[in-house]
Amino acid sequence: MGWVTDHAPTGAELNACVRCGLCLPECPTFRLTGKESFSPRGRLMAMSAVADGVVEVDESFAGIMDSCLQCRACEVVCPSLVPFGRAMEGARAELAAQMPSRTRAARHLLVGRVLGSPGLLRMATLAVKVGQKVGVGRVLPSLLRRGFAGIRPITPVAVEPGSTYRAVGERIGRAGFLTGCVMDVWFSDVHAASIAMLQRAGYDVVVPATQTCCGALAAHDGDVKDTQRLAERNVVAFANVDVVAVDSAGCGAHLKDYEHWAGQAGELFSKRVFDITELIDQAIASGRIPKSSVDRGPVAVQDPCHLRHVQRIVDAPRNIVRAAGYSPVEIDPDGRCCGAAGMYSLLQPELSRQLGAAKADQVRQSHANVVASANPGCEMQLRSHLGKGYEIVHPVELLWRAVQEDDR
Amino acid sequence: MTLIGDLVEILGPDRVLSEPLERYLYGTDGGVARGEVIVVVLPETAGEVSDVVKAAKRHGSPIVPRGAGTGLAGGAAPAVPSVVVSLTNMKDIEIDLGNRTAWVGPGVINLDLSKLTRSSGFHFAPDPSSQSACTIGGNVANNSGGPHCLAEGTTTSHVLAVEIVTADGEIVLLGGPAPDPIGLDLRSVVVGSEGLLGIITRALVKLTPNPLAVRTILAGFATMEDAVATSSGIVARGVVPAALEIMDQKMTRAVENFVGAGFPIDAGAILLAEVAGHPAAVEAEARLVEQVANENHVTSLRVAADEVERAKLWLGRKSAFGAVAQLAPDYYLHDTVVPRTQLVATMQKIYEIAERHGVLMLNVFHAGDGNLHPLVAFDASVEGQLDIVHAAMEEVAKVCIEAGGALSGEHGIGLEKRDLMPLLYNEADLDAQARLREAFDPDGLFNPQKVLPAGSRCADLGRPIPTGAWL
Amino acid sequence: MTIAAAFARYVRSAVADTGLPECDLMVAPQTIDELEHILDLASEHQLKAVIWGGGSHQGFGGRIDPDLVVATSQLNRLVDWQPEDFTVTVEAGMRVSDLEDMLADRGQMAVLPELPGAATIGGVMAAGVSGWRRARYGPTRDRVLEVDLVTGDGRRVRAGGRVVKNVTGFDLPRLAVGSFGSLGVIAQACLKLWPEPSTKVTVSVADGDRALATAYRPTAVVEADGVAKVYLGGTEAEVDGQVESLDGTVVSGWSWEPEPTGVVGWSLRVPPASTRSAIERLPSGWRYQAGLGVGEIKAASVDAEGAAGLRAWAESQGGALVIVSGPAALYSDMDPWGTPPPGLKVQRELIRRFDPCRVVNPGRLPGGL
Repeated sequence: MGWVTDHAPTGAELNACVRCGLCLPECPTFRLTGKESFSPRGRLMAMSAVADGVVEVDESFAGIMDSCLQCRACEVVCPSLVPFGRAMEGARAELAAQMPSRTRAARHLLVGRVLGSPGLLRMATLAVKVGQKVGVGRVLPSLLRRGFAGIRPITPVAVEPGSTYRAVGERIGRAGFLTGCVMDVWFSDVHAASIAMLQRAGYDVVVPATQTCCGALAAHDGDVKDTQRLAERNVVAFANVDVVAVDSAGCGAHLKDYEHWAGQAGELFSKRVFDITELIDQAIASGRIPKSSVDRGPVAVQDPCHLRHVQRIVDAPRNIVRAAGYSPVEIDPDGRCCGAAGMYSLLQPELSRQLGAAKADQVRQSHANVVASANPGCEMQLRSHLGKGYEIVHPVELLWRAVQEDDR
Repeated sequence: MTLIGDLVEILGPDRVLSEPLERYLYGTDGGVARGEVIVVVLPETAGEVSDVVKAAKRHGSPIVPRGAGTGLAGGAAPAVPSVVVSLTNMKDIEIDLGNRTAWVGPGVINLDLSKLTRSSGFHFAPDPSSQSACTIGGNVANNSGGPHCLAEGTTTSHVLAVEIVTADGEIVLLGGPAPDPIGLDLRSVVVGSEGLLGIITRALVKLTPNPLAVRTILAGFATMEDAVATSSGIVARGVVPAALEIMDQKMTRAVENFVGAGFPIDAGAILLAEVAGHPAAVEAEARLVEQVANENHVTSLRVAADEVERAKLWLGRKSAFGAVAQLAPDYYLHDTVVPRTQLVATMQKIYEIAERHGVLMLNVFHAGDGNLHPLVAFDASVEGQLDIVHAAMEEVAKVCIEAGGALSGEHGIGLEKRDLMPLLYNEADLDAQARLREAFDPDGLFNPQKVLPAGSRCADLGRPIPTGAWL
Repeated sequence: MTIAAAFARYVRSAVADTGLPECDLMVAPQTIDELEHILDLASEHQLKAVIWGGGSHQGFGGRIDPDLVVATSQLNRLVDWQPEDFTVTVEAGMRVSDLEDMLADRGQMAVLPELPGAATIGGVMAAGVSGWRRARYGPTRDRVLEVDLVTGDGRRVRAGGRVVKNVTGFDLPRLAVGSFGSLGVIAQACLKLWPEPSTKVTVSVADGDRALATAYRPTAVVEADGVAKVYLGGTEAEVDGQVESLDGTVVSGWSWEPEPTGVVGWSLRVPPASTRSAIERLPSGWRYQAGLGVGEIKAASVDAEGAAGLRAWAESQGGALVIVSGPAALYSDMDPWGTPPPGLKVQRELIRRFDPCRVVNPGRLPGGL
């Protein structure tokens, strides 16, 4: 049967791979298992096998695709420039189309609907909040308990849709702020810090009321329709801003990829998307945001895959941490995935656990007890694996705190 | 009991892969050949490898050992339906800085060892371009080279001992930590045996002190002749640089597109030269490199300013094969070696052959030791293309051998170059190779139909071999 | 035809060499074709043959009472020298000293044993011995690019190639090194050459171990009976810089010491880090030269007193204590090699296929092979 959707991996995408194998050691799941079927090359070869009619899209194929973290570390080292992430999203779209099994339908509901709807998400959040109060974490099954342990204490939502925040000092532009889904309700402190720093960087910050979930999780899951719907809504919602500021690396990476989901309008949109760390780093470099002269000690810097491998942003978070008076400590020269990877921690708990534990070990060896991570998924994963005694924050939060302290 | 049943008993179900799609993924490596896999196993100890070999032997199934599958000659692609033994999960490392050695499992990734020993001031010298991915077991099995083998020698000079599982399933240690092990040096012949003589389950490798100083020089030339003349001129003056690498324009452009290291894409050819060692020597040798380049009409010259720039240049060079995919979906390459003095003439002939056959030819090579990698980029899905490529490449091989060269400098013979062996060796030579193989593996259990063309073993040659008790 | 008649045409006066074993039948082939025929005849007549180069390494291994001595003295031609390619191909009977002298004229070196005496290329290769410069340039085995063997049953077999890098087929050339002719007589070989450094010095130092730790990749550090010398080579600036970091007396050029001599000669081989310990364990009265950082110790003694204990220790370290010369009686008292290595079965199977009538040096190798 081969492929059935318009989103399937294309011949050009698959042919770009010459099987040199340079991606293998960069792939966290290959490192753990040593199996070709858990490697980017193997996954591409499996896609080619479908394209060539050697195999069908079946459980075995699905298993090989499902094990991918979509961390895209493989893309960085690929001299053939294989668009692996795109091909994988195509394969997931095929799985969604050809194998609409029960588990997939449930996942579809979660990623397409709940996360795409602030109302539904708030209901879920309420449940979490109550749970946190009554200490329900201890009685949850171990799999869920770990995810639960990674959630920050829920605080009141700080950012109201439709609000505008004025630039502090000279105004350099108008930034549209993506509140996102999980970020909005579970990480509102990060939003507060990001908006405050954007103001100091010289942006008027608007929070378009009509915006919605970026659609990354739906895309990773192969949900083409929902992904397109969400992308198109955001393109419209952010039509009138100079830059789109995003404080979740996973969301930013996906917004920068809208050309695949919202055509030419999407491509133009993507050009205006910046991770918050990029914008703040620029402001530090141009002197609009001062560098703190206080020595605040070491901070371990964790590189979210979607920041480092997809958006190729490495220096910005370190510069921000430095500007906040901290000394950044490297924990992993290879920038390996922490195993959070969106819904991966729920769908592939064992691999996710091994990667999370390894990442936590790297943090412990750094002897820093503050970790800066620019992505909510990574943050939750780190928190659940590190346990007490460690603070995991967004780098911009560190800077905002420092600015406030230094102001006093 | 079935073979798979036996294997599951030895390794458990998770380390025996028998699904059709999973087996398909192990049917090929970095080369163009594809074969059929009966089952894939992932042992973790020499004992498990031994049990797997015994089980396969009981069932009469051939065995193909495999590392990371980055080989370019089809060494890990089964020629006949085989059990693939993936050694990727045998990754133990035991470092002995006093003796400047390390015991490594065959699945240890080449670069991982150097990363681990870097802070102690050592590295594992063989550095094939795939070093970030390939395994040391694969390096040992193929006697891999790499740019820096010019000064340091190929893998075989860096292996003190190998532990292998023989075709009988016996675990045997060949060589050792002391120099000149007594008896026939079987270690030396297991190195580079491409999986035909035994399965390597451990190797004792040398660690090389990191150079005190390094200088990496990127020189652009209008013509390939100038680049080659520079490279040969440097060596002829009695300097053995750490590396001397050349890329032609097409290759440079593909590489630059990926790495963005500032390779001069207008140059007809570039030379990447590295001198390393004692600071005083590096100073003098770098001057000589520049001088020889100037004598040969260098058009651009750049010295890497720091480690970051140097790393980027090498990343570019080492990504060359992969970068070819930007031009065409498939590539076929040779790995011939010619005497350095024959480089210019041979290169000219190679480009002529490409032109005559109308194929897209790129060249990237280890100029310092005359190790060429003529590469044709093509689309195998176009009817008849592969035949044209094979025809052109056979001519290339002939030209190199006529120049006094050899078929493979570092990639191995595997499946893809096997039938070219008679270009280089006569009946008696091939028979000797086949006898050697027979002494290790009389039934041809390991990686059958590789390296030696059919009929290599010639019963008519020499005197009959006595059977039974002997000596 | 009698055996003597069969070989008559190869019996040549040039064989008259000192130190030759007692043997009625001594031949000296002038070409490799002749060598092939000689070994074919030897196989036909089931003769035990000893191959004689310069006679330097005949003390290695099991003793043989030969029916035939084949001298390689007349197979001593230069076959091909490509100075710009840094390769040279010679017949095996060429003396090492003649080769190195010739190469030195063009500033090149084969880096074989430094004071070879009458040793030939073939002999050095067959015995697998190396010079002290192996510390920097690797052992003799690293030099061999191509080899022409004449198998025990008289077939000429070539392997490797005359290029500096080659993985075409199994590495028979390396296997031939140290094989004592058991797979075939080394008739011709192509060697990889090195440029001779422009500046060479020898520095006598008080503490060899310290010098080894201080110097950056020295050519060799050799300690002889407590006196250590560091050998350096490179550009003038490099050598000067290195000399400064060593505290010692400098003489220009490489000045090698003759190997210690005695009634019994030994080769003690241990992991490099165990070299000091090995020196300390030498029985009293043994003279020695030790390659620091290499683990090879050449020693000489008046008898074998204490040798068994030393051998046991060396073997426990993964090394060996090998007899390289001594009175015949010693070889019956003490195995010249010690405990045979693993993998004897494969070794036997190999030899059986290359020398089915077991003509060349039978019993010379460990395990009586």
